[in-house]
Amino acid sequence: MRLLAIARNTLTEALRQKLFALLLLLALALAASSQFFRDFNFGSSELKFIADFGFGAIVFFGSALTITATAQLFFSEIENRTALTLLSKPIRRTEFILGKFLGVAAITALFTALTTLLLAALLWHRENALMAAQPEAFAAGRLVSYGAVFAAGLLQWLKFTLLAALTLLIASYSNTNLYTVVVSFFVLLICHLQYLARDADAHIANPVARFLTRLLGHVFPNFQLYNITDQIARDTALPGGLVLTAALTALFYNAVILALAALAFRRREI
Amino acid sequence: MRHGFQEFREFCKKGCGFLRGAAPRQAAVVSAGVSLGVLLLAGALARSIEEPLWRELRARRPALELAGVKDALGQGVTAALLGGFSAVLADFTWLRANALWEDNNLPATQASIKLTTAIDPRPLYFWINGARMIAYDMPFWRIMEEGGHDKVPEARQRRIDEEQSAVALAYLKDGLRTHPGSPALLLEAGNIHLNRLKDTAAAADYYGRAAEQPGAPYYAARLHAVLLVRLGRVAEALESLKRVYPTLPKPGDKRATAFQVESAMAGTVLGRIRELEERLKVPEGERVGE
Repeated sequence: MRLLAIARNTLTEALRQKLFALLLLLALALAASSQFFRDFNFGSSELKFIADFGFGAIVFFGSALTITATAQLFFSEIENRTALTLLSKPIRRTEFILGKFLGVAAITALFTALTTLLLAALLWHRENALMAAQPEAFAAGRLVSYGAVFAAGLLQWLKFTLLAALTLLIASYSNTNLYTVVVSFFVLLICHLQYLARDADAHIANPVARFLTRLLGHVFPNFQLYNITDQIARDTALPGGLVLTAALTALFYNAVILALAALAFRRREI
Repeated sequence: MRHGFQEFREFCKKGCGFLRGAAPRQAAVVSAGVSLGVLLLAGALARSIEEPLWRELRARRPALELAGVKDALGQGVTAALLGGFSAVLADFTWLRANALWEDNNLPATQASIKLTTAIDPRPLYFWINGARMIAYDMPFWRIMEEGGHDKVPEARQRRIDEEQSAVALAYLKDGLRTHPGSPALLLEAGNIHLNRLKDTAAAADYYGRAAEQPGAPYYAARLHAVLLVRLGRVAEALESLKRVYPTLPKPGDKRATAFQVESAMAGTVLGRIRELEERLKVPEGERVGE
């Protein structure tokens, strides 16, 4: 109950912030504007281009929202001294961290749902227009798998929850909002490029360098696992158990990272 | 079991006690070290769960190959690897390649072409046009830079053609790794062998491979046969056309569109079969029926 109260308060606070509205508007505008960049598209098919552009907006603004909102909501409680009032009541620090996490997870869920819905609507609208103009190209039916579009949105959200947990872990060690935001952006980048360390592992002869690369590959979660934005074509079946495995991995990582964040926050002086 | 759990609890309590008693900076370092250790263990465990799925996803996404992106990291590829905008970024680098192409800037154009397909290897358009720029335009630039076709000796011109063709063919080979058996890429490789390297045998081989792929254009098989005849392999050419002819849509075929019937040119293929049968003096009873 207390946990939900903190989560609800975090969500309300995040919704009140201009940042959420601004990033949501920007993402929606960018996804919608993909329609106007059609002539700029050289290589891929038009629908692929719209999907790629839309998911690009979701990933870019979603990551920015997750990091900044998590850091801001965490530090605002400390800077405004509301954390002191809150934690003097029978609320555990672990509950505070979990509540913040759930609040940010809710706000990113709202963001991802709205932007994915808009993208799916855009794809549907454009695919209908193309079907009317070139029926022979759609002889075998629709080209876009809308199930895969929503699965891609769900996986992006799972990635945002992981990013929020990692940001909370960094925030529980850090003293400033800015430091947390900067380090979290670096972590976001590392997590996306983590697979390169895994690849390099096999080709490095130096044992020390190989050990360090392996360490890097194990410490950071693999964010590419949650990226299936190029697999939304109807003829590209998603790997079996993809969503379930990705969800399980995210759940496991979130549990571990939040436990570490709670542990670090317990020792923190407020 | 219960005893073991109590021991573990005691150990944890002692550990926490140590952290509480330690100086803040020291404790923070220890705590960060513990976090890293736990994350390491969690990573090893998570990898065992995700590995099979990751391998499957990896195989489907050629853009994630280390060899393709390692030289281009920091030039936009990083942003594309974050999970979106790859088509847009590839379009930008393609535009840049074209702007550099207008300036006849060979190294930069070549690098931009390769960067484009490293970011988004899905569109065949980039592979085909990139290979054409490398194989057809760049030798011309190099020859002009060395004084023009009148001044540069034939042997040197030939060498430049071979060098650029080798780069283009290696580039198309990368493309074929992403699009295995793509008739468009095989045809492009055949064209380079034929037009730039004057290697009819290799070109015939590529056209033949292209013709065997599903969705290959009808002219691939015709070109393959023409080149085989040019190489003196007439019987092989006849066999190839005899294999293809029954599969071609003929006028009146209701399952084929008018365009398919027109581009299949079944009549022309039959005419060519007749010519070759005459040339090889195939007995009347063994000839292909209409």
